[in-house]
Amino acid sequence: MKQPLSGLKVADFSWFGAGPICGENLASFGATVVRVESESHPDGLRGVAPFAAGKTGFNVSGYFNNYNAGKLDLTLNLNTDLGRKMLLKLVAWCDIFLTNHTPRVIERWNISYDELKKVNPQLIGVYQPMQGFEGPHRYFMGFGAVLGPITGYSYLSGFPHRPPMGLGTNYPDYVINPGHTLIGILAALRHRKKTGEGQLVELAQIESSVSPLAPAIMDYAANGRIQCRAGNRLPHAAPHGAFRCKDSTWNNQPEDRWIALGVFDDAQWAALVEAMGSPAWARDAKFATLAARKQHEDELEAALTEWTREQTAEEVMALLQSKGVPAGVVQNARDMLEDEHLKARGYYVYLDHPEAGVTAYDGPPFRLSKTPGVLRTPAPLLGQHNEQVCKEILGMTDEEIAEALIEQALY
Amino acid sequence: MPDAALSDLRIIDLAGEIGVYCTKLLADLGADVIRIEPPDGDPLRDIGPFWHDEQAADRSLLFFNFNTNKRSVTLDITRPEGRALFEKLVAGADVVVETYKPGYLDALGLGYDGLSAIKPGIILTSVTGFGQDGPHAHYTWSDIVGVAMSGVMTLAGDKEDPPNMPYPSQGYIGAGIQAAAGTLMAVWHRDNTGEGQHVDVSMQEALSINQETAMQTYDMLKAIRTRTGARGLIPIDIPGIGVYECADGQVFAYLGSPGGAPWTVMLDWMNREGKAEDLNEEPYISLIRELHLRFLTSLTQEPAKLPERIKNLGHIYGVFSRFCATMPKWTLYEEGQKQRLMFGIVSTPEDLAKNPQLKARHWLQQVDHDHLGATVDYAGPPYRLHETPWAIRSRAPLPGEHNADVFTGELGLSAQELASLREQQVI
Repeated sequence: MKQPLSGLKVADFSWFGAGPICGENLASFGATVVRVESESHPDGLRGVAPFAAGKTGFNVSGYFNNYNAGKLDLTLNLNTDLGRKMLLKLVAWCDIFLTNHTPRVIERWNISYDELKKVNPQLIGVYQPMQGFEGPHRYFMGFGAVLGPITGYSYLSGFPHRPPMGLGTNYPDYVINPGHTLIGILAALRHRKKTGEGQLVELAQIESSVSPLAPAIMDYAANGRIQCRAGNRLPHAAPHGAFRCKDSTWNNQPEDRWIALGVFDDAQWAALVEAMGSPAWARDAKFATLAARKQHEDELEAALTEWTREQTAEEVMALLQSKGVPAGVVQNARDMLEDEHLKARGYYVYLDHPEAGVTAYDGPPFRLSKTPGVLRTPAPLLGQHNEQVCKEILGMTDEEIAEALIEQALY
Repeated sequence: MPDAALSDLRIIDLAGEIGVYCTKLLADLGADVIRIEPPDGDPLRDIGPFWHDEQAADRSLLFFNFNTNKRSVTLDITRPEGRALFEKLVAGADVVVETYKPGYLDALGLGYDGLSAIKPGIILTSVTGFGQDGPHAHYTWSDIVGVAMSGVMTLAGDKEDPPNMPYPSQGYIGAGIQAAAGTLMAVWHRDNTGEGQHVDVSMQEALSINQETAMQTYDMLKAIRTRTGARGLIPIDIPGIGVYECADGQVFAYLGSPGGAPWTVMLDWMNREGKAEDLNEEPYISLIRELHLRFLTSLTQEPAKLPERIKNLGHIYGVFSRFCATMPKWTLYEEGQKQRLMFGIVSTPEDLAKNPQLKARHWLQQVDHDHLGATVDYAGPPYRLHETPWAIRSRAPLPGEHNADVFTGELGLSAQELASLREQQVI
């Protein structure tokens, strides 16, 4: 089946999340994506849990595997001349070069866009430096855990009585940064198709991550207000938050369960009151309008919790949804993998990996009705496609491949 | 003016809050986006924060940010005359972006099939909470419902508290990003084949990969990753890792990580400030020389030494905390980073507005707002395409600001016809 990106060639010289996830989406929509790693520097995520049960080694990390379906894998040792030559050959072959390595590493290996353009004048070079290539902080170090605080997510998220602890994950790495990158790439492709001209696409991770926090920044710039974390509340809704439901049991342990909901207008409030059986407290004037509910929000939340606590989160969701109130179970990963709606839509894709076995992968993040994304192969083993890439892409003979092995260039 | 990558695209924007970031992203790369607002008011304009805290249809900073570069027309597409105008707009468009509940546009005959009949090759991008089909397709969504149902919310916060949602509206932002990417993927396919299609974005699916390792942890090990609060996965206080109070705020530190300077460099700094206390002596100095990630992850392998080590680490943690508490956050961040010590300032919105790196890169954009008699600061680019740059060419529009341009200028309605339609509240 012809896919939108069939025939497009990508050299994925990135690692961790922000680069590879973008590369994986390109592969899912038809591009040939070659991951470049090294035996001495495999992708850091290959060594991070979780690992397939009872398995060890570089090829069984679920963290790595979920971001690299559909790719070919080539190991190149850039500390050898031959390794460098082979990388440049790959760059000459590709349409898109993708990396999130730091400015220092890019300088050390001489793989700036200007350099790579010499071997591929039409190259679309996609770089994701943490702070950008220009500016006083361009050499600052960091990864996801540091980026969250620097970009404001930690200060702005969570409860005010807690320290800024972030979102529990390297949050911008998974949707915001790879997603923005994919948009930039598709725009650059259009330009190249029209004009024949490639370009440098620079995604400074700090800029990409800060963009979605615009309302808080603009509130400061226009009004001098320093917004701070507000828990799960919203200025224009009440009640709004996560409310404790009946505990469930899992593995013989109690599990806390929560319903997330929001009431944004009078109609939704009336619907919620009706769903609760029109209790007297809810008909009090102090809850009749949004403004009133905001004024008495602590009391509102406590009263609502008394009701939710008596039911399962699933029951509350079904009931409130039947009345048009936005409500959803705060799902954990088990809920996600067993979610009947996601199953009906076939969201999670199960692929059989030679070492990790059959495991679940996130499916494409958007659906195209006529040319859907497809995860065609599981994540590659380290260096799995060395011979294939050398022969079919780099045009090397058996002798040349043997030489590359001996010189430890293919390493 | 440098070329724009999408300037040949005409996009009709019917998006509510869940989809406006999609159309903004496309507009900022050059697309001509016509936003259709209900004649009795676009609810998006009612969401704050507001310019000088004045709630009005032309004062919402959130609306400003998400509607850069767009033109605005007011139109009720459910009225026959309104629908006729809408169909004319579609006939000249490449993309329609909408966020109605699944089935709504189909019932009007304006779903993908209906729109394709009007404009073959049209791309319809639909952004909803749960997608166009499936048992929950009819569900009412909001931002918090998206982050909850996608497994993201459960991972954030202290386990003594309810799970935390991210700063609003990250669910909508994620959906918008995936929708923009999906739209451009469909546009690329159409550019090459002439074939349009329906782009279906479910916020739940758009966000799911934000679960980091939680999904794989359950899938592979049948273990559930839960929120772990400030300490994260580390059960004890490790000096140089975590959030620390400063004289004027907080920093996040991750000392001893691979690629960074060793902890001894931190100790040198503390010595220069005269604040190392007794860390230069045993048993602390030996421990400090070993304070890197590999050592920390191997702590549990020597259980006999563990209680003593935990006590000493706790002491070093205390001295380090006291050091941080005397220092300004920007100093710890900038001076620390210059020594390759991994500090990250815990930025407030003020810090972001004043960040020297963002300032040097002219990230914040100053945009004229004639109707306010002022300049408004807008968020800057998420990426820099060097030949076809992101740009704010014009401020967010006023309601119906381009009615004359579009309905008269492009569709040929006379001024009287316009006035009549306005009277009937069709526009």
